[in-house]
Amino acid sequence: MTPALSISHLRKVYRSGTVAVEDVSLHIPEGEFFGFLGPNGAGKSTTIHCITGVAEPTSGKIEIFGIDAVKNYREARRLVGLCPQEFNVDPFATPRQIVDWMGGYFGMNAKQRKERIDYLIERFDLIPHQKKQFRELSGGLKRRVVLARALVNDPKLIILDEPTAGVDVELRRVLWRYLTEINKDGRTILLTSHYLEEVERLCRHVAIVNKGRIVREGTKDEIAGGPGGLENAYLIATGAEPDHVAGQ
Amino acid sequence: MWRGNKMNQPMGTNWIGLYTMMRREAQRMARIPIQAFVAPWISALLFIFIFGFVVGGRISQIGGHKYLEFVLPGILMMNIINAAFLQASTAVYFSRFIKFVEEMLVAPLSYVEMIIGSVSVVVVRATVTGIGILLMGMAFGATQIVSWPLFIFWVVSVSTVFGFLGIIIGLWSKSFEQLNMPVVFFLTPLSMVGGVFNTTAMLPDWLRWLAWANPFFYFINGIRGAMIGFDETPPGLGIGFTLVLLAVLGVWVWRLYSKGYGLRE
Repeated sequence: MTPALSISHLRKVYRSGTVAVEDVSLHIPEGEFFGFLGPNGAGKSTTIHCITGVAEPTSGKIEIFGIDAVKNYREARRLVGLCPQEFNVDPFATPRQIVDWMGGYFGMNAKQRKERIDYLIERFDLIPHQKKQFRELSGGLKRRVVLARALVNDPKLIILDEPTAGVDVELRRVLWRYLTEINKDGRTILLTSHYLEEVERLCRHVAIVNKGRIVREGTKDEIAGGPGGLENAYLIATGAEPDHVAGQ
Repeated sequence: MWRGNKMNQPMGTNWIGLYTMMRREAQRMARIPIQAFVAPWISALLFIFIFGFVVGGRISQIGGHKYLEFVLPGILMMNIINAAFLQASTAVYFSRFIKFVEEMLVAPLSYVEMIIGSVSVVVVRATVTGIGILLMGMAFGATQIVSWPLFIFWVVSVSTVFGFLGIIIGLWSKSFEQLNMPVVFFLTPLSMVGGVFNTTAMLPDWLRWLAWANPFFYFINGIRGAMIGFDETPPGLGIGFTLVLLAVLGVWVWRLYSKGYGLRE
């Protein structure tokens, strides 16, 4: 079966000479809920940027459902939804406009967009805020808008780069419920997060990246099964100081 | 229910995506009507007043035309150039600065679609600006259109040329200061000395070559020919030059997009 996402020997060197991704290979089957962990600057966001077209890979191969994400980028991008870490949004636009424009970019006609936007705006409790300017919203509401935007095209592969950073418990729960639901419905999800309990709760498979390389990969049970759980495995894999690691 | 995941079907032109880019920029433009339209119209109105009623009466006719008739096409072209350049450069730079350009990068839009989407709004803004000035000129009995096809050609082609240049500057700029540099050092001076206020025959011999070397001269002279029939260049020279410029800049912009210059990390 064709994997939802296949990355082979991805390397990314920025123009400044910084090597952000040294050598990353990943194969995520369709329907997987995949946790992508690592410390700040490990290469998670750069890998995601290379998958989605925000960054140009220096070398290596990325395939989305078997489609080359560089050579056939338009076909590949139709299948992906990205919720980025930063709010890369026109601050003067309203949530409704932001989601609507994204739907338009993905080729959805007006009727399809309205139907989908109505659903997402309601699902993420944005109805009272849908006509406010984005800059007027609180951090949590902004996050909801960016999530709704990522999901407007009903993507088969959903990439969430720290989607719950800075949001309240309520939204976190709403989001967890929604992600679990769409994952059950067959959507593949790649999630990065610094909240390990979130990854433990949602993901079935985990990869830990450090200094641009995958340093540990396996099922959640394999990785979190040892003493100290996922946190301990994460600290060991990322080379944390021994006194930070449980039992040492 | 929307299902956008049609696998393995090659994409044709993303017409809805293209239209969305235009719709989005039009909505952005609608947020700044004073900057986009009212400012150039007021400036043109002041030019009409000064050259029509203050200075114009003291200057004899040029090529059988009143001075205001001679000057107005140049004023119109200057405003088209400014509108086109500012629309393209600020739209591209602002989208990079705030990073919402990433919305387009992650979407199934080709580079050509992205470029057409940006440039078409540029042409719309420049055309609306130009038509406003044309109507003002007509209302004061100061202009006419000798050739509508040529008038449309000059409005569309010159706004596209400066749309491309605006995109290049918008991609290159790393600050608002850099974004404004071309306007201050090139656009305003070159358009002022590009034959808006005088014919080349009015210049001393040693200075004429400068007018002929100034690309703005061909744009101003071209639209003047379309509006009042006064043309100082051999037939086809300005059109040929503009078409070559369009092709060169079009390829340049496409290369920058396909390389991700200023867009992708």
